[in-house]
Amino acid sequence: MKKLLAVTACPTGIAHTYMAAESLQKAAKDKNIPIKIETRGAVGVENEITPQEIAEAHAIIIAADTDVDEGRFAGKPVIKVPVAQGIKIPSELIDRALAKEASTEFSQKVQANETNQSSAKKQNVVYRHLMNGVSHMLPLVVAGGLIIAISFIFGITHEEGTFGAQLGKIGGSAMGLMVTVLSGYIAFSIAGKPGLAPGLVGGVLSTSMGAGFIGGILAGFIAGYAAKWLIQNIKLPKNFEGLKPILIVPLLSVLIIGLLMIYVIGEPIKALMDGLTTWLGSMGSANKIVLGAVLGAMMALDMGGPFNKTAYTFAVGLLGSGVYGPIAAVMAAGMTPPLGVWLATMIAPKKFTDEERQAGKVASILGLSFITEGAIPFGASDPLRMIPSFMIGSAVAGGLTMLFDVMLRAPHGGLFVLLIPNAVSNVLMYMLAIVIGTVVTALLVNLLKRTK
Amino acid sequence: MNIHELLNHGTIMLPLDVDTREDAIRQMAASLERSGSITHLDAYIEAVLRREQQSSTGIGFGVAIPHGKSAGVSKASLAFARFNKSIDWDSLDGSPATMAFMIAVPEANVGNEHLQILVALSRKLIHEDFRQQLTDAQTPDEIIEILAKNI
Repeated sequence: MKKLLAVTACPTGIAHTYMAAESLQKAAKDKNIPIKIETRGAVGVENEITPQEIAEAHAIIIAADTDVDEGRFAGKPVIKVPVAQGIKIPSELIDRALAKEASTEFSQKVQANETNQSSAKKQNVVYRHLMNGVSHMLPLVVAGGLIIAISFIFGITHEEGTFGAQLGKIGGSAMGLMVTVLSGYIAFSIAGKPGLAPGLVGGVLSTSMGAGFIGGILAGFIAGYAAKWLIQNIKLPKNFEGLKPILIVPLLSVLIIGLLMIYVIGEPIKALMDGLTTWLGSMGSANKIVLGAVLGAMMALDMGGPFNKTAYTFAVGLLGSGVYGPIAAVMAAGMTPPLGVWLATMIAPKKFTDEERQAGKVASILGLSFITEGAIPFGASDPLRMIPSFMIGSAVAGGLTMLFDVMLRAPHGGLFVLLIPNAVSNVLMYMLAIVIGTVVTALLVNLLKRTK
Repeated sequence: MNIHELLNHGTIMLPLDVDTREDAIRQMAASLERSGSITHLDAYIEAVLRREQQSSTGIGFGVAIPHGKSAGVSKASLAFARFNKSIDWDSLDGSPATMAFMIAVPEANVGNEHLQILVALSRKLIHEDFRQQLTDAQTPDEIIEILAKNI
């Protein structure tokens, strides 16, 4: 049996959307054709079509005068008409849709993609929530870290009331929100709006108890799933149903995460964080170098992907707890892949195409700004040779910064943060580590790359 | 929520004696103003006429549904008119309009129960037996009863 899908929408979203839907429904019923119709009107998207249904559908009828998110139908036979046609000639539209040749190759491809996506979705759900928190946190960290770094222009310690002290206060306020926002938006990602309140509160408690970013991550996940559970499982008599979102769920979810943080998980996590901090501080140089090298290699492995983000998040989290070594390693390691490819194109231009030489110039700027993604064009074109080169160069840079005991007090900025006095301890050695990492990357790239 | 909150005797016109689409719109809007659901008549009429310009709200089958979303509307409301002669409404199927529902919705009115009723009404209008009942109704009370029963 051929199944059809339809989407209806109109500018005001009050009448035509629904009349077209009803017309199509009626015509399909007369013909005994199964059809599902998504309406996008003033009351929102109703009866939304799922990727699974798109994969199974024979064809899709779009009767709309506004945008209906057509991208999701890529590869499927689509009939697109103004919404009025949906009302006027529903029967003809259905006949036309049924007559469409299902482009099997395409639809199978779409189907395959969809299954891949949905399984990938399941695996990465935790990562996705975490990254939602991280992406909301980063602006605070970047602004806060850089403003604190700028405040060091006025000396590393400030007297109360001086401009340097005020800058420090601004930066500190931003940094102080970091764990709170991280936790809040992890929970928001899990449970939607009801997750935000308990997530934020869990994050504040984590900050004030000294449980740091690990506590914040945990608080975010617990708060999010608690809120989600409450929404789904609390049943109230219909008259009181309205109280659920505005009273019951906020009260219970905040209470749950608050009590858990204070009486159950806060202290152990604080102990863990303190332990981690002490361990990183007292680490022998051999271990430090290994840590720096591993973080560095992770930065270069997927340049902006999950490994890169994990290493960066770890270092940024420690920065928030006053541990400044890993972030230095991570930034150096994130700068060397694009700087390395630039150097490689300079040393042996004949090995590269014109385009690659141009991309190399751009990569140099991106590298100096700590935008690792600048090396992606090179990594993507020849991953088996390029990625290992990047990883080794970055591991060298990361290991060296740890060996040199470089401390970095800002989470981003590349070369520009090095120009701020006191933002980086041991600036010369830090630059040396970056230069060595860059040279190693460039030499390996040229050694492994085949001449064009 | 019931249909009485959307329309009343004052906004049901059986019949309405007009010659043109614009006339019909003005008369029906004026009835909504009298019933207290429109505060700025001109702003609302302008919104409705602008909507008609985009594309006719004559949905065919002799029915038109002029509507507008405007800050001049204080509460969602409905007017119904059956015309004593057919009005050219530039309809989708070319047929003139013999009756019209006018829908007024405040600017900041999204996702509430009133909208749900208007949605249900729009859906119902597709069905011939529903339209026939509206054509046959003799009094405003009958119209309200038909709406209450079907929506």
